Amino acid sequence: MAFFIDQLLNGLSLGALYALIAVGYTVVYGIVQLINFAHGEIFMIGAFGALSTWIVLGWATGGSTAWWNMPLMLVGGMLVAVLTAVVMERFAYRPLRNAPRLAPLITAIGISIFLQEFIRLFYGEIPGFPDAKAAIPFPQIEFFTGDAVDVGGQLINRGTFFIIAALVVCWAFLWWFVNKTATGRAMQAVSQDPDTSRLMGIDVDRIIVIAFAVGAALAAIAGVAHGVRFGNIDFKMGFLAGLKAFTAAVLGGIGNINGAVVGGLTLGLVESMAASYIPGQFGGAAWKDVWAFVLLILILVFRPQGLLGAKVVDRA
Amino acid sequence: MRIPTVFTPELQKQYHVTGRMVAMAGGLLFAVSAYLPWAYTGAALDNMSYLGGPSTLQFLGLTLGLIVAWCAAMGWIEPWADRRGFARPLIRVSKRVGWTRGSKAMGIGLLAYIVLILVVIAIELRGLVAVEWGGWVALVAALMAFVGTRLLIAGRAPSLERVRSAAWVEIVAIALILLLALLLVAYALNQNDGGIFLSIIAFAGALSAFVLRSGIGAWISEAGQKHRTVLVFSSFLVAFLFPFTQNGSDANMSIATQVLVFAATAVGLNIVVGLAGLLDLGYIAFLGAGAFTAATLSESAFATINWKPPFIVVMLIAGLISASLGLLIGSPTLRVSGDYLAIVTLAFGEIFRITMNNLDGQSGPNLTHGSSGIPAIPNLELFGFDFGKPHVVFGITLGRFSNYFFLMLLIMAVIVLVFTRLNHSRIGRGWVAIREDEKAAEAMGVNVFGLKLLAFAGGAFLAGFAGAVKAHVDVSVIPDQYVFLESAFLLAAVVLGGMGTVIGVILGATLLKLLPEKLRFVSEYRMLLFGLLMVVMMRFRPEGMIPNQRRALEFHSDDEELVQEIEEDLPYEFAEEKS
Amino acid sequence: MRNKKLLGGAVALLSASMLFAGCGSRSEPAASGSAGGAATKVAKIGVIAPLTGDLSVMGLGIKNSVDLAIRQANESNAIPGWKLELAAEDDTATPDVGANAATKLAADKDVVGVVGTLNSGVAQSVQPILNSANIVMVSPANTSPNLTQGADLANPKRTYPNYFRVCTTDSIQGPFAAQYLFESGVKKLAVVNDKKPYGQGLAEAVATKFKELGGEVVSNQTVNKDDDDFSTVIDLMKAKNPEVVYFGTEFQLAGPMSKQMKDKGLAVPLMGGDGIFDQKFVDLAGAKSNGDLATSVGAPIESLASGKSFVEAYKAAGFSDGFSAYGAYAYDAANAIIASLKKSLPSASDASSARQATIDGMAAVSFDGATGKVGFDEFGDAITKTLTVYEVQELKWVAKKTGELK
Repeated sequence: MAFFIDQLLNGLSLGALYALIAVGYTVVYGIVQLINFAHGEIFMIGAFGALSTWIVLGWATGGSTAWWNMPLMLVGGMLVAVLTAVVMERFAYRPLRNAPRLAPLITAIGISIFLQEFIRLFYGEIPGFPDAKAAIPFPQIEFFTGDAVDVGGQLINRGTFFIIAALVVCWAFLWWFVNKTATGRAMQAVSQDPDTSRLMGIDVDRIIVIAFAVGAALAAIAGVAHGVRFGNIDFKMGFLAGLKAFTAAVLGGIGNINGAVVGGLTLGLVESMAASYIPGQFGGAAWKDVWAFVLLILILVFRPQGLLGAKVVDRA
Repeated sequence: MRIPTVFTPELQKQYHVTGRMVAMAGGLLFAVSAYLPWAYTGAALDNMSYLGGPSTLQFLGLTLGLIVAWCAAMGWIEPWADRRGFARPLIRVSKRVGWTRGSKAMGIGLLAYIVLILVVIAIELRGLVAVEWGGWVALVAALMAFVGTRLLIAGRAPSLERVRSAAWVEIVAIALILLLALLLVAYALNQNDGGIFLSIIAFAGALSAFVLRSGIGAWISEAGQKHRTVLVFSSFLVAFLFPFTQNGSDANMSIATQVLVFAATAVGLNIVVGLAGLLDLGYIAFLGAGAFTAATLSESAFATINWKPPFIVVMLIAGLISASLGLLIGSPTLRVSGDYLAIVTLAFGEIFRITMNNLDGQSGPNLTHGSSGIPAIPNLELFGFDFGKPHVVFGITLGRFSNYFFLMLLIMAVIVLVFTRLNHSRIGRGWVAIREDEKAAEAMGVNVFGLKLLAFAGGAFLAGFAGAVKAHVDVSVIPDQYVFLESAFLLAAVVLGGMGTVIGVILGATLLKLLPEKLRFVSEYRMLLFGLLMVVMMRFRPEGMIPNQRRALEFHSDDEELVQEIEEDLPYEFAEEKS
Repeated sequence: MRNKKLLGGAVALLSASMLFAGCGSRSEPAASGSAGGAATKVAKIGVIAPLTGDLSVMGLGIKNSVDLAIRQANESNAIPGWKLELAAEDDTATPDVGANAATKLAADKDVVGVVGTLNSGVAQSVQPILNSANIVMVSPANTSPNLTQGADLANPKRTYPNYFRVCTTDSIQGPFAAQYLFESGVKKLAVVNDKKPYGQGLAEAVATKFKELGGEVVSNQTVNKDDDDFSTVIDLMKAKNPEVVYFGTEFQLAGPMSKQMKDKGLAVPLMGGDGIFDQKFVDLAGAKSNGDLATSVGAPIESLASGKSFVEAYKAAGFSDGFSAYGAYAYDAANAIIASLKKSLPSASDASSARQATIDGMAAVSFDGATGKVGFDEFGDAITKTLTVYEVQELKWVAKKTGELK
């Protein structure tokens, strides 16, 4: 039983990570029908932004690992990620808004490769920053990292708490933002009918930028969570995580924020259960990614609208 | 992000006479500067430190300079000769050449060429001080030529392709151009210095820009169209001759063979992406499936299947296995479209890689030895011809890779044939219809599902073919060769070269494989530049270097001229309707 | 018809310029070219390693260490009348690019030996090319036994006479680790590998030997090399209560694994091979890595004069990248080639004619290198069977026990 609960928590924390990233895919897709393939790299950049914030803070504090570093790191990571996403939208995607859909997708792959290589090659060149060609240990902030906590005989990783709490907070914030603020309602309007919204006086360009920014901020939180949970970050962590998060977004129904969360958690659970409960040679961690992708293909083929139903888009 | 026009029509109207003089002077000065020392020591590029003895690169520069001067001068020579009635036939041809446009292109090319050379000198000899006075003269000359040509009024559009010329002239021209290209390529490849290589590419770029802008390119392509078979055959003949230019060295042949494998795969991908418009991000898996099939059925001591059919059979099996994987992954295309398809194929590529990695006897049945892969794949032996042994032909030794080069050339020919036949058939037009508007195509009675599957299976089959040979060329097959990045590379070859054209994709594939091999000093930044290139290309020239015209129209739907051109080229069924 | 002349003119122009290019009146100044000693001949030692990409950390370490060995040989004038040069080629860790690099080096008449490759998979496609050119190849890092002993390990047969390696194979390092664990009282072992040739081979060798000795392998797991999250694997192992976890991989994965194990309450030592014997492992594993173990070939570097001087010389040479996991091996590999060149080069008229003699001379090579005794057996494998177990103490690797594989 304890083993099962362990797997449940593993799955949920992994799933929460996917969910946080998946929101970015879903929000952007819902508004511009663009798969921002480079979103995984925004997640990576967020993690590096947080690490950089800690390093810069360390110049003043002498490398303190007190708890108050964490909120500052989160803000730092979010700033860097949002900035990258906005620049990316402005200079790479916006000029292609009316191009055939192959063009932005190829652009996205280009950006993805570019960002990875940029971090790999140049991060370590900044004086005082570690070389990013191999994995970098993520700072061990007290309270957020360390020994597992004993909850009624069940050892639970601190990272697990952090990541699930982050998802709950972000989800609540998103609900409030989308449903209760003028900007959020404008986003809904644009995603339903951009032309009419424009006639109604909504600045569509601004809404698109906000969508990118919101996704990037959440991805940055996920990046920090990744560092806290797994203890290290590297330049290529965004590729597979991004792909899985996209799977999660499609699983839940792309364009649907609740769907992204449900899809993320489902995917995380499927992966962790597949790795621990499929017997024989095809079980274990070696095949878990295969099961995740098989699930993606099956969902796309048999229920393209996803678990919770997607915004129906036809622009092919 | 439009570049503001500095040289406005008003400015041109006012100063075009001065511009012409400056351009002529610049071009001539550049040609003269080739005889001056450009670099302080001989260590940079191909030794440009002599007074009065130009190096090869300087000679190439001299040619460019003379062309600029000539083009600019034609603005005066032509009307003058016309008035005096000199060489009338020649002038009539000359009037159809876009001398001014050509000179503008050449002005830019000349400037780019000299700037590149000076930068390389500065890098190789550490500092701009290493640039000798001749180099600065050349730079000033190039600047003069650039500004001068910018000030010219572009005038009439070239229409050289309307000139009627005898068939033999056209054929000889095609042959000469190809021969020249062969010599240039052979010369460039034998350079180990990245700077020289890059300079030669810049030279070729400037020259082709001139040829295209001046209308000579249109004439050549018209000639090529007319003598298609001649063009294709002589292209292959030239490629066939390439190993004979290598003096028995295998160093370039191994690169050339891999370029061919890569290009063949890219042409296969072009069927899927360029013709049918289905974005496939996992295409490398089909190459991998072919390679693994050939490896497991080979005589290698590590092969896991004990059946050793002859290679021809192996190749067919490899193609069929790839094709059935293509069908497997293609069947969801019925239900998903566009972006979803891209992700499905990407996921499939990952599944393939992980599965190959896992079939090692621990996480699955032992088929591939997991990440160690299958090594020690023996050389091919077809009809008593041992591919591993060097052969001496006409006194020139042709090594192992040359043998495989010939084989790949043969396969390439088959793939190109399949591609062009498909493209010009009902099937090809069906694909284009699907690409443009799937619903409309379906309504017009196009078998959308069948054609999509055919694209997937056909492309995969060709990749499997290439993979089977690749296994023997590489000697070992490991899963890590078939990762997403390779798929992205293939896609980039298609996108950069031009979707839907064979020649463009071959060019794109060649550049993508060749540049990293020859430009070792940027190899660390290879992927970075490659990512950037994809973004920039999509932004400014999404149709690729040598685009398919119909394809280009999708990206530039407001270009009236292009629409007209395409309508003229419509196949006869449509032409009838129009009249 | 009309453009005949035009075309003719263009052709004439072009051919004229080609002609000029071909026979330009460039007189080579005779003296200025060879500034150094007139009799100095050049021989090149190639390197084939991933110099770009993910694995460039290790590849650059290899290249720099070979560079260092060559510089030292030139300074001490090890081979009178000859100057050694480095010819480094990038294989980007893929066999096809590796094959290009090998063909390029084979075509270079000055190349007499090659240090490389990092990956066994690349070695497989490089071996035959260098072999047909009679160029000796010494690998600092290939651990697959098949490379020297052929497909059937029960009946070993040397496949390529030009291939040698200075690192030990899985079949030495693995059993040594198993022996050490069993002798120090461990009875229940969990084994994990990263599904790469190095890690998988090593983990299998450890598991086999450990069972043979009478121990119990309670769990045998795999992870993917791109994984960050090892939670499930850790839970699966934890359920079996192992006393030690042996992880066949390099430090990139082993560090996070150790950290996550201990965070999750599986507080047992993690052990690995020479791939994790790197300070970066400790950095990644964090504060709780004390007690983790690694084996590495040879006696501890601090106890060897040659090892210490390598570390110092490397630092003094001012390379921008560290020597990483395989630098010391690469240094030894280069020195092994140089040792053989000392015999083969002086009598040779040019570099390429010394190639066969260099291969023949390898069997006689024997010296104390940075990693210990360097020499080769009849298959080309390293003869040294001395290994050392290291333990993390106060976040530093400390030598614990040096011994021979029995």
